[in-house]
Amino acid sequence: MSDGDELVERVIEQLRRPVGIDPALDARVLREIAADARPEAALRAKPRMIWPWLAVAAVLAAVIVARPWARRDVAGETPFQFVLVAPQAASVSLVGDFNDWDPNRAPMQVAHGVWAAVVQLPPGRYRYAFLVNGVEWRSDPTAPHASDDEFGTPSSVVTVTGGGT
Amino acid sequence: MGIGKVESSDAELVGRVRAGDISAYGALVARYRDRLGRYAVHMIGDREDAEEALQDSFVRAYRSLGRCTDPARFGAWLYGILVNRCRTTGARAARRRRVFVAADEFDRATPNGPDELERLEWADLVERALARLGPEHREAFLLKHVEDLEYEEMAEVTGAGVSALKMRVKRAREQLQKLLTEARHV
Repeated sequence: MSDGDELVERVIEQLRRPVGIDPALDARVLREIAADARPEAALRAKPRMIWPWLAVAAVLAAVIVARPWARRDVAGETPFQFVLVAPQAASVSLVGDFNDWDPNRAPMQVAHGVWAAVVQLPPGRYRYAFLVNGVEWRSDPTAPHASDDEFGTPSSVVTVTGGGT
Repeated sequence: MGIGKVESSDAELVGRVRAGDISAYGALVARYRDRLGRYAVHMIGDREDAEEALQDSFVRAYRSLGRCTDPARFGAWLYGILVNRCRTTGARAARRRRVFVAADEFDRATPNGPDELERLEWADLVERALARLGPEHREAFLLKHVEDLEYEEMAEVTGAGVSALKMRVKRAREQLQKLLTEARHV
């Protein structure tokens, strides 16, 4: 081993030493996600109750031009229609920041190979994707691609403004 | 060693978290805190920024857990989130003076004899040399030699190709040798 290599090995040995991260970080993380979890738990119950209505709306919406609705809905939320043309797919779910990326919460309805779902979104920026046949992640070909792709799957971005889009 | 399957299944813990058990996420945080924290501290060079990046990465990972397509490799997926977060923080922090970890140690500890003083001086030299590497070279060097990732895992985590990563590691080693050799002759 050369002197240079020995020097680098000493550097590596030094850098591998523990740096002493504050153990209270664990509690801070859990506090932050617990604060998230409560409102999300409440939101989870809501789509189930209104699901029959959403299903009907999604099927009707599938024949309409694939663009978000501009109309504002109750409680500052805007109904957004998401559409994917995938005639070969057996199932498609809409997953995103708004439903914890849970494929069971927004299965899309199909008509003539066009899959659609409508979700209520308060103002904000959301990343989302389509999960095809339960395994294949696809971004929305009609929407901007999300730049924060560190999660390893493609996704798109939708921004809901206060006055609708 | 790598970041593949861990002894008591990450997949099992991820499954429990998805079923609503937040305490299972606490176990994942405890499992990865020190290792990822070490990477963040060396990559960013400022302990406070590093802990903030680490905390934010854990929270982002929790919120996007549905996108972890292979829960058995939760660790690799989490690394990807942290690497990305460190890049953002690093770019912002580059405009400020880096506060070195070793300098922190100097502040906290009274060197106990010449050996201890020598260790702290060496730690300080290493951090300063590391800080002078370009972020891509520092990132590749830390992931390969300190975090012990395979090149394929590094490619997955960083989004760079294997050959580019090998070149970055090689250049980082050369630069460190040069910087430290110069520093020791000053």
